Amino acid sequence: MKRRDFLRIGSAGLAGSLLGGSGLLAWTPRASAATIDRTFYVTEGFITQIDGTDVYFRGFSSSPNGLNVPGEALIVQAGDTLRITIDNTLNVATSFVIDGVVDSGPIGPGQSRTITFTVDTPGSYLYHDGLNAPHNRLLGLHGGLAVMPSGSSNELYPGSPTFVQQYFWIFHDIDPAWHDRLRRGLQPNTAYTPRYFTLNGLSGRPPGAPGNGDPAIDSMHDPRSALHGSIGDRTLIRIMNAGLAAQSVHTHGNHMEWLTENGVIRPDVWEKDCLYLDGDKGALDVIYPFEVPPDSWPPARTGEYPMHLHSEMSQTAAGGYYMFGAITDIFFE
Amino acid sequence: MFDIHERKRPEMGMGGRRGGGGGGGGGMMGGCYIYDENQRPNDTLVTPDVTFRRSIYMNGSMTMDDGNTVTIWGFNDGGGGMMMGGPFPSPAMRVTQGQIVHTQLSVPMCCAHTIHHHGIEPGWESDGVGHISWDVSGTTYTYQWRPMHPGTYFYHCHTNTVLHAEMGMYGALIVDPPEGVGTLYSGGPTYDMEAFWVVDEIDSFWHTLGWTAGTCGADVGLNDLNPDYFIITGVDGARSAMNAPGIATTMQVGQKLLARYICAGYHPQRIHFGGLTGTIHISDGRVLPRPVQVTELRAHSGERYDIIFEPDTPGEYIISCEIRHWVTGEVLGTARTRITVE
Repeated sequence: MKRRDFLRIGSAGLAGSLLGGSGLLAWTPRASAATIDRTFYVTEGFITQIDGTDVYFRGFSSSPNGLNVPGEALIVQAGDTLRITIDNTLNVATSFVIDGVVDSGPIGPGQSRTITFTVDTPGSYLYHDGLNAPHNRLLGLHGGLAVMPSGSSNELYPGSPTFVQQYFWIFHDIDPAWHDRLRRGLQPNTAYTPRYFTLNGLSGRPPGAPGNGDPAIDSMHDPRSALHGSIGDRTLIRIMNAGLAAQSVHTHGNHMEWLTENGVIRPDVWEKDCLYLDGDKGALDVIYPFEVPPDSWPPARTGEYPMHLHSEMSQTAAGGYYMFGAITDIFFE
Repeated sequence: MFDIHERKRPEMGMGGRRGGGGGGGGGMMGGCYIYDENQRPNDTLVTPDVTFRRSIYMNGSMTMDDGNTVTIWGFNDGGGGMMMGGPFPSPAMRVTQGQIVHTQLSVPMCCAHTIHHHGIEPGWESDGVGHISWDVSGTTYTYQWRPMHPGTYFYHCHTNTVLHAEMGMYGALIVDPPEGVGTLYSGGPTYDMEAFWVVDEIDSFWHTLGWTAGTCGADVGLNDLNPDYFIITGVDGARSAMNAPGIATTMQVGQKLLARYICAGYHPQRIHFGGLTGTIHISDGRVLPRPVQVTELRAHSGERYDIIFEPDTPGEYIISCEIRHWVTGEVLGTARTRITVE
């Protein structure tokens, strides 16, 4: 396929694929299990980075003409049956995998396949293409799945600390040299050196930058990423790392209540302002409590704070552009 | 290359109370993303219990065990203009839980910096994050905070953080409980002595860059940290940290040592206690629900651990901290110190 045949999508082109403009993952528990149908179109294209570089990606997209990186975040409840149709529009194979839950096996070029499976264990999961691991996942074929406890609206797992709203933070790091080799069907032949860093597919556009404040471009204002809450609005964040670099997740304003690490419930809940997120599918679940910032004087009930990765190389783009990396803002309203 | 100046000008003035993107109109800042435009005094200030004054230096140096020197930037104690050099790490701040604290940062016109008290959670105007409040340039700005949780913190510059913190613009910040030095937290364990293990890595190339490098659109390699020195609390961990006061410790059986470990680098670390078992009581300024006993520990950038050692066997114990590549996990280098038990 020639380059001109690809979708060519600047960040603004992703706007139509966002979750209806609302970052909050609405969830109403059900008394009984349901069957959830979704179709993902495996698509490809280029996404223009802040320095003008076009980087090749693939995505589990919500329409055959879109490119969703990451794919749509799904929220279901334990006991539900998921019927996922993968429509592979590419001329290479793909797969749909949730580690420990389901593996479609290879789905060939142009093929469509429906995978049916039941989710039993509440928690946070990364769905991804498991072929040529980790290459297809790094190209963008990944997304988040939340499995709520059956009948529950406010727990991560039965009996967990409770929350009133939930978000996904899916981090990614991108080495454009790898993406280019993989686009051409070649194995990467250089050491993995990420140059772009994203949160839910977007990166920061600080004040003064093109796209600042645009929720479709700026991760600081993307409603899927930026936390909004008033005092007491305890917020669950399902943190996943689709990339390869180990990161340190750092919140200002409040510490995070640390509930799980790589899917395992922590024996005690520690309050941390930095958390070690493993590379290569590392995962954390945390609650950001939206308490009055404890060291404020006079006590602050409103204000704006950042969440950024403290592994600070991740705060850059194209070797510079500080604050054009994986960052968002937290709004006490 | 993308012309940042051309592209950003039409966007200026967005963002309400924020700086409009700094730099665009500000002579020395050129077209760089620095936020010094909307500086104004902190209107939350009350009479403090304690005040720290900090100026900056950007022409300090550190001499390594191999005889090479690297440029270091940091903070000096006291206000006033820029000094040629200064201590590394920057002078510690030590306060008591519940005190109202002022940090007065003086920055000359040359440049822009902030102080972020990492782990301390104040009002937004005292948080020292440039794009949310402003970067400090050509003035003195006062941050106000009231620490409510004892433990180990650090403060660092949050302007072009990726570079400025790497350059050395950080110092320890300790919050003592009302009982004072010697008690970890009210109702918690006591200790007889302290060691500060602030473990960091240095990429000599990064230390040749100017203060706006990484904010003006050029590729200056800040996505790729390739450290060649591995240090503990401003001392080379190759050899010198083995005997440096405040880092290396000599103690008696029966004494209790509190190690305040700060992961100040950007790559993950794994610290081994050389055969000793330590007890973690506090991490990131929060008392653990149950203390945890460890013989080694992994940590990532910005994490802190308060660990008490009560060795019962005389000997020399080598504390070694491996700095591991964030992608490959390869050990890039090791910084070492010791605990000698007599």
